Amino acid sequence: MSRLWRRNRHWVTPALFLLPGLILFGTVILAASIETVWISLHDWDGIGAKTWVGLANYIELADDPQFYVSLKNNVIWLLIFMLAPPIGLALALIVNQQIRGMRILKSLFFVPLVLATVTVGVVFGWVYDPNFGLLQLLFGAFGGTAPALLSDETFVTFAVAAAGLWPQIAFCMILFLAGLNSLNDDLIAAGRVDGARGWRMLRHVVLPQLSQVGFIAIAVTVIGALRSFDMIAVMTSGGPYGSCTVLAYQMYQESIFSYRFGYGAAIATVLFVIMIVFIAWYLNGLIKAERSNA
Amino acid sequence: MSSVELRKVDKHYAGYHALKTVDLKIEKGEFVVMVGPSGCGKSTLLKTIAGLETINSGQIVINGRDVTREEPGDRGIAMVFQSYALYPHMTVAENMGFGLRMANRPKAEIDAAVKRAAQILRLEEQLGKRPKQLSGGQRQRVAIGRAITRSPEVFLFDEPLSNLDAALRTQMRVELSGLHTQLGSTMIYVTHDQVEAMTMADRIVILNKGRIEQIGSPLELYANPANIFVAGFLGAPRMNFIEAKAVSVDASGVSVAAAGLPALSLGGIDVTGLSAGDAVTIGIRPEGLRVVEAGDGVMPVFSSQVRLVEQLGRDTVLYVDASPLQTTNSDSGTGNFTLQLNKVSTVAVGATLRAGFETGDAYLFGPDGRTLTPRKPVAST
Repeated sequence: MSRLWRRNRHWVTPALFLLPGLILFGTVILAASIETVWISLHDWDGIGAKTWVGLANYIELADDPQFYVSLKNNVIWLLIFMLAPPIGLALALIVNQQIRGMRILKSLFFVPLVLATVTVGVVFGWVYDPNFGLLQLLFGAFGGTAPALLSDETFVTFAVAAAGLWPQIAFCMILFLAGLNSLNDDLIAAGRVDGARGWRMLRHVVLPQLSQVGFIAIAVTVIGALRSFDMIAVMTSGGPYGSCTVLAYQMYQESIFSYRFGYGAAIATVLFVIMIVFIAWYLNGLIKAERSNA
Repeated sequence: MSSVELRKVDKHYAGYHALKTVDLKIEKGEFVVMVGPSGCGKSTLLKTIAGLETINSGQIVINGRDVTREEPGDRGIAMVFQSYALYPHMTVAENMGFGLRMANRPKAEIDAAVKRAAQILRLEEQLGKRPKQLSGGQRQRVAIGRAITRSPEVFLFDEPLSNLDAALRTQMRVELSGLHTQLGSTMIYVTHDQVEAMTMADRIVILNKGRIEQIGSPLELYANPANIFVAGFLGAPRMNFIEAKAVSVDASGVSVAAAGLPALSLGGIDVTGLSAGDAVTIGIRPEGLRVVEAGDGVMPVFSSQVRLVEQLGRDTVLYVDASPLQTTNSDSGTGNFTLQLNKVSTVAVGATLRAGFETGDAYLFGPDGRTLTPRKPVAST
């Protein structure tokens, strides 16, 4: 026994440590994903028997105008969310200054991260309220009338994405603040001796040191934009007339409200494929960074 | 006109007095090494000259210009950091040219300066590489090259060799000395390594607790330390110190008694403020001690047991039990006495030997640590 153990412990111990994680990942992520793809090849109401339909769900999806609306909205979310890293960086640079009272400001910027997304959605719902919302107060001050953003097909996606952007900016700011705290003092000193200051110090000495953090901020923001769901569910339920729905929300709607689990699974699979492109890019970057640090 | 001048430079951190009214004049082309134990303020002093640290009062003058309130980039200095502090995202050439680029020099001038520095430091092959791809010694050269391209009035080195292995450190030491001869610029060099200080410096500045203890040429400081701190700091192995008492003090000299030693009569002593009964310290360098045969005429002698023998090839260092002498402040551990013999010794551990020294080689330090013995001639070969 002890001999068997000695001969095999070099792989048994790490395997045992990895096992819980592997089981969890295997059932919750891998098996669930495979089953989703399997379901997407069926017609299924979620309770009764599944009927094999092959690629019919995908063919229907390709002709579904709602699918393209969702896809377009996902792209809009992505573009708007791309504002989060640069704004987060700018805020981090501001609140990182050694000025009295900055700590309070820092904590205030931190608030949206503490709030549940649902809360943020509700709060922004009030802000946008055309009768008594903050927006109406602002417009009213100039004698105008606020547009009813959430019931306007053209503006609704932008309005909801802007609400989602708020916590995302705070998140990016925290990431960049952490990055700023781990700057190499000697490099800054070397930059000062070399006569770099202000914008050029930022551009040539500080920002290159934040490239790793910046990469993570962008990657996390991309993934956050693609899986946006809760804000839409809370603020508009995809409306008006499905004009602000995204893939994740459409999947939810088809599955839960229309009892079309097969069709919903097909949307999920498409979203998964889109996501995997970005995730592969993200992992590739992480591995590269890890190698260059070794 | 001196190259760098510090006038009453004072620096406080919260609850900590880092530099206490430091006055220092450094001549053009001088190689000055600032040395001292960790926390003595040597790095802080260098950073105040660089402008990386502000000072609370006093003045810093570089090349006749008051730069106290100026940014590091405007002071006409270049600095080499202990960590090299190379910009990791830039190539070697970009690293070296960065200072000139920030000064908005034309590209042709930058390229020429980088090329010249690369030639001096034998880095031509590495110009396109990133710092990560270089060895420790090469990175150090790039850091020096970055300083050279700016052709500064003053080079500042902050323990530049301490991250290198021993062999490379010796090599770079020689190269840096050569570079100083070649460029003829003023160089200020901070280190805690006294070998670097002794071998490279025109003048050494010894710092302790934010104060300058003594300034002078390496051999001058070695032969004539101003006080017990300098005496103990310079020299490896360290000077031996014996606790003693002044028995009688008069204009002609001092008679000193120490437990375990015959009474010592030292002439030419500066007796100001010294009175009979004061606690004094006798200092004797390890190479000033010798093994004495019975009946030999040399002065104070004591016998003791050998605890450890270190063969250094040509020299031998013996650590002997110092009792009944009262030793203080020795790096071989309290209770040990160090002898450095200029030959291979066959003395075995456990053997008893008689050690002695000539009174002319001894130093006497007063109760305040000041050196009381008269000037000794600076060692000549």
